[in-house]
Amino acid sequence: MSVEPRFDDITCSLAATKKQPVGMIKEIKTVMAIARKFNQEVVEPEFLEIDKKIQADIGYIPEHWMEKANQWGFYTMWMPKLFGGQGYCFPSLAYFVEEISSRCVGMANMIGVHYLGLATLIATWNLPVIKRIRKDVLDGEAKGEPCVISMAITEPDSGTDTPEIELVDRGNVSCHAQKVDKGYRINGTKIFISNVPLATWHIVLAFEDLEQPSHTPVWFVVKKGAKGFSTGRKENKMGQSACPASEIIFKDCFIPDDQICLNSSHLDTLSITAQQAYQRVFDYLNSVTRAAVCAMGAGVGRGAYESALKFASETQVAGKYLINQEWVQCRLADMFKNIAVSRLIYAEAGYANGLYGFFKMLQLKPLYYMTKMTPKFILNRVFDMAADKKITTWIIRKIQYDWQQEIDLQRCAGWASLAKFAGSDAGVENCHIAMELMGQAGIRHENRVEKHLRDAKLLQIYEGPNQANRVSLFNSFIKRTCPHATVFEDQ
Amino acid sequence: MDSTKNEDKLIDKAAREFARKELLPDREERDRYLFEPFSQKILNTAFEVDFFHLNLTEDFGGIGRKITPLCIVLKNLSETDAGMAAIIFTNSFSHELFFESGDTSVLKKIVSDKNGIERFLIAYPIFTHPDETQSRVTAELKDGKYILSGITEQLVLGGIAKQCLIPGNISGQPQSSLFFVDLDSPGVQLSDPLLNLGVHTCPSTDLALERVEAILVGKEGQGGVYFSKAANRLQICGAAISSGIMTGSFEEALAYSRTRIQGGRKIVEWSELQMILTDMAIKTNTSKELLARACQAADAMSSGWEKDVSAATIYIQDAACQVTTDGVQVLGGSGYMKDYGQEKRFRDAKHLQTLLGMGPLKKIRYLKTLL
Repeated sequence: MSVEPRFDDITCSLAATKKQPVGMIKEIKTVMAIARKFNQEVVEPEFLEIDKKIQADIGYIPEHWMEKANQWGFYTMWMPKLFGGQGYCFPSLAYFVEEISSRCVGMANMIGVHYLGLATLIATWNLPVIKRIRKDVLDGEAKGEPCVISMAITEPDSGTDTPEIELVDRGNVSCHAQKVDKGYRINGTKIFISNVPLATWHIVLAFEDLEQPSHTPVWFVVKKGAKGFSTGRKENKMGQSACPASEIIFKDCFIPDDQICLNSSHLDTLSITAQQAYQRVFDYLNSVTRAAVCAMGAGVGRGAYESALKFASETQVAGKYLINQEWVQCRLADMFKNIAVSRLIYAEAGYANGLYGFFKMLQLKPLYYMTKMTPKFILNRVFDMAADKKITTWIIRKIQYDWQQEIDLQRCAGWASLAKFAGSDAGVENCHIAMELMGQAGIRHENRVEKHLRDAKLLQIYEGPNQANRVSLFNSFIKRTCPHATVFEDQ
Repeated sequence: MDSTKNEDKLIDKAAREFARKELLPDREERDRYLFEPFSQKILNTAFEVDFFHLNLTEDFGGIGRKITPLCIVLKNLSETDAGMAAIIFTNSFSHELFFESGDTSVLKKIVSDKNGIERFLIAYPIFTHPDETQSRVTAELKDGKYILSGITEQLVLGGIAKQCLIPGNISGQPQSSLFFVDLDSPGVQLSDPLLNLGVHTCPSTDLALERVEAILVGKEGQGGVYFSKAANRLQICGAAISSGIMTGSFEEALAYSRTRIQGGRKIVEWSELQMILTDMAIKTNTSKELLARACQAADAMSSGWEKDVSAATIYIQDAACQVTTDGVQVLGGSGYMKDYGQEKRFRDAKHLQTLLGMGPLKKIRYLKTLL
């Protein structure tokens, strides 16, 4: 047994100083500057008004915000250059999300969820499908008609269960994929799906055998307007309201084979089993998205902190400025700490993904600099040719599924889960502190903090409730120290 | 809280019946007030069943001005919906200010006139403490009358009451005085109803006054003293609302966890969820006990009752915020949606933590009573 804590587990940032391309620092700085400008010009003037409008009219959707994000290039910004996107490094997305969330988590989600969809799509490593969808996204940007991707996993009776390999077979999934000639017939409902009804493409998880879902997953994409596919009622959320969420419903919806991203037959020539692939896709996905939720926590916590700081510096109690009260200084320090620690953790999760996980290939120095220096049209042509060849998809899957080290994925999953519950808890805590510090001013909508609190609470719930993320951390970093330990058994 | 006296039992039953019949149906729709019409019908019904007379003495048409029955009603109503309880609390606080001032002539007239609820309700800015916020209303004495100008923020019941009590500073006096203002007077301007975090069905507005004639309540410069005395006695009633909210949150969470299945078993059977529910139960039950004891102490005015009441209030209001945060978490995504009561309880509890002033400063004031 290795000595715990293991050196590689606790030194991701240290390793990254040598292995990570130095150009990423400049990229992150650029992205943060763009995010701040976007906040100033687009989010800041409107975010409270939009939140109020949606409270007044649940049906209202700020489509023009999605159009703005599209105009600013945010839906291709983190799409790899090889796929035709702008190719900003993925870790910079977390810094971007923090900035936008410091004003409006709903807006951050409206952009971030697209990358949840894109990351899921990429994690299935089906290059022909990626090629088709990235074209729509690029065209959408060029035409000024946003083409965003949503991701649909949660079902009415299967929330926490679905992403957990230990739980899903005991759960009650119901989205059924029946194999038919040249495709699948899909029946079922997904709920709480962000960016619906605005999204154009949806990447969806269904199951061939509802009794053995982990052995029979079918990842597919479906386009808005497909026959048998519809969106249900819009969810009436407490916060993050700028980003709509709705049900999606499949009634005998035919999905052709060329829209199937990953099923068990795709694994026939690989060593990995369908169940392992199920786990692998979620490992890749969660390692990215859970760190992003941490960044949202840092952002919303920063928004609360900034409002509290402004209030404390402007407000006198009994003739003395609050900012000069020691208890206020200590609460502000607590809030600053929460933000700083969250930022360090999501950065560490990003380093882990870059060194050992989802971003590894893109951040290999030769590939990184090659894609930076090669003109986009050449990269596009190379990708277009390669994507159509079955061998390319097979090779990438061989690398990403068969050759991916389990210990490396555990490291990424562990850091991401830690980030998720630490960052979201810290964000909620900051909002509570700010509300208490601001008293009567805090409860008023116009003073922002109450919105931050409503927004923050969802961070503790989606992308796996924080309780499941604690178990995931245990599973990644702690369980191995006790050979007889199991998770999700609760004996 | 357990009610032992017969009359308390009757009040307990009446409040539960009212909550079940009047507050539970359409609760989520009513919470959309600001964007939907205010539910005057329920307010009228609550008035008819005398919930607004609980903090009045018998000679004012009340039932004895005892803390315990008022808390029973506020807690029971808040288990379902805290909005009505917040309205009753605000009005009761205004009554209390009159009583503490020893100047009840205006109050006597209000309760004697049978002009319905609008002319009965007395608005007051209950989310601030005079020690924390310098009044922005100034008063000048002219021809024997007080003329007020300035702004009062977050006047609770503004928009549904026709009169209010507000603090204001008479020119040259550092200590605030208490004034009664008829909101139909010339020079009064009420803002649109405010969009706040919680208790949407207990409306608030900002109040702007421009040379408005007002009546001094009690003595000049004693507004802060009256507030402190009223807050000492009635703060536990605010905590009763918080106690009710957390009881509702816990019961909803427990019921959900008994039916929701994840991982092949009811979620109540997972041990981490049991930990959360246990924490919720302990805080909820501890709060109930504290509330009951504080009510007894306040009614009996036993030695040191103010300290007991303050400690209980601070604990209960903090606990309600923690319990309702977990109450949303237990229901997961469903708890975050407005279809269930949990997100509303989360907002209401946090909103009401600020009742009668900022939470942290309440703690500092409490410590000062021990020094």
